[in-house]
Amino acid sequence: MSQNAIEVSNVTLHFPKQRNAFTMLLDVLRRKKRRFTALKNVSIEVKRGEIIGIIGRNGCGKSTLLRVMAGIYPPDEGKSFVAGEISLLAGLGTGFSPHQTGRENAILYGSILGHNEEEMKSKLPEIIEFSELGTFIDEPIRTYSAGMKARLGLAVASAINPDILLIDEVLGVGDPNFREKSKKKILNMVEGAGTVVIVSHSFGLMKSICDRLILIHDGVVSADGNPAEVIQAYHDTND
Amino acid sequence: MGEVDHSGPQLREVGARASVIGAPITTITELFNYRFLVRNLIRREVRGRYRNAMLGYLWTVIEPALLAIVYWFLFVMLAGQSDEMYPVWVLLGVITWGCFGKSLSATVNSLTGNARTLHLVYFPRTIFPVTAVGANLVISLMSSVVIIPILYFYQITPTIHLIWVPIGIFLSGLMALGFGMMMAPLNCVQRDVAHFTRFLTRAGFFFSPVMWTAEMAMERGSWDAYALWNPMATPITMVRHGLMGKPIDIPMQYVSVSLISILLFWILGTMIFSKYERGAVKYL
Repeated sequence: MSQNAIEVSNVTLHFPKQRNAFTMLLDVLRRKKRRFTALKNVSIEVKRGEIIGIIGRNGCGKSTLLRVMAGIYPPDEGKSFVAGEISLLAGLGTGFSPHQTGRENAILYGSILGHNEEEMKSKLPEIIEFSELGTFIDEPIRTYSAGMKARLGLAVASAINPDILLIDEVLGVGDPNFREKSKKKILNMVEGAGTVVIVSHSFGLMKSICDRLILIHDGVVSADGNPAEVIQAYHDTND
Repeated sequence: MGEVDHSGPQLREVGARASVIGAPITTITELFNYRFLVRNLIRREVRGRYRNAMLGYLWTVIEPALLAIVYWFLFVMLAGQSDEMYPVWVLLGVITWGCFGKSLSATVNSLTGNARTLHLVYFPRTIFPVTAVGANLVISLMSSVVIIPILYFYQITPTIHLIWVPIGIFLSGLMALGFGMMMAPLNCVQRDVAHFTRFLTRAGFFFSPVMWTAEMAMERGSWDAYALWNPMATPITMVRHGLMGKPIDIPMQYVSVSLISILLFWILGTMIFSKYERGAVKYL
């Protein structure tokens, strides 16, 4: 029996480029495809219970890799496996409907994240309390400030306990007070989840919580191992 | 959870190629499993449509009722149509065809319109076209309440055949869903598809019995009767006959063409959709 929670094996992923009638014709004549290769033959294994971080420059393929793990982008070559329930924390509040109340949106967003009705009913009081919205919870969320929306989003997203948690830069929403609280909550989730993969630019945090770091450079894994060494490798490649 | 144990969940492949052959059936089971999400998404659509309106949902009925008055004035008063019921036929045609047309365009645009969600969350993507059509069906069914004042105005006694009104509307939505699902992934690649379906909807308006009825076509015979091979002829006629309390007495071959088309569109639509949706997200 495998002890791995995530196995990404030899994954290559291309993104097509926008084409118009002229470039399409040109492509057919030249017999080649216009595309951008975001991941090149990437292989990663994450053991059950491990907390790993992915670092790299903007546009290197970090988020794309997380989305391959979450099943959002099917790989063009290679395969990706996960064991258990997996949840991607990214873009908090995706699918919020401005004309419905905070309470309705909490249920909507919860269902988008994969909760069923009973789960949502039992978690709603906890979500409302954590969001600190008070009486605003029954107002339409078009009246909310950006910070309030983010708080509600995080409150719903953090009410889940998946086997594998993928986090894509969601730290740092709301005012400093709430930011502290949300950081604590996410760290709690990290502890509760067992297996965690984090994409972030805050190296301090990564160093303190991750067992292992992976450096991605231009769609290729260029370093994998001890956090301090991988961060050093990151600085070296940028010079 | 949390501790490393050896009896945990097994590895499963993500982003794997789904069985295309099984799609017509697996789509139904997926929708059942995700019914809570489907319901919430439909509610979001419907709520958004009638926001900030004092009369709110009443507009679903007020609009067709006002249209009926306009048609009556236009056709009976101005054009001197001898058939007193003609404005009602047009109104029911417009509601049913409208349900088809709006559902079709909503289905074709269901992936492109939800690009952000598609990039950030994974759930079975058939949910997008289904909720798009579901919302249109809810609104069209609410609109069909307009037949109550019509029944009263024309002093028609409602019968059991009234059940054909919602059935006809439902079938028109189902047809649009299957047909649209064949094109939704392609629309992510080239948006020309949406422009083309908009043309199809406009042209279909005249080729379908919206401004004319099945009876008119059959009376004139010869070429006109061919128009009834149009799969949308049956749903529209169902709604009209249902109102009059008549059974669906158009020839069986036309009814079967319509029902077979709906089934075929569903089978092909779900198969094509499940084959291409996985790659389509990368074009958004």
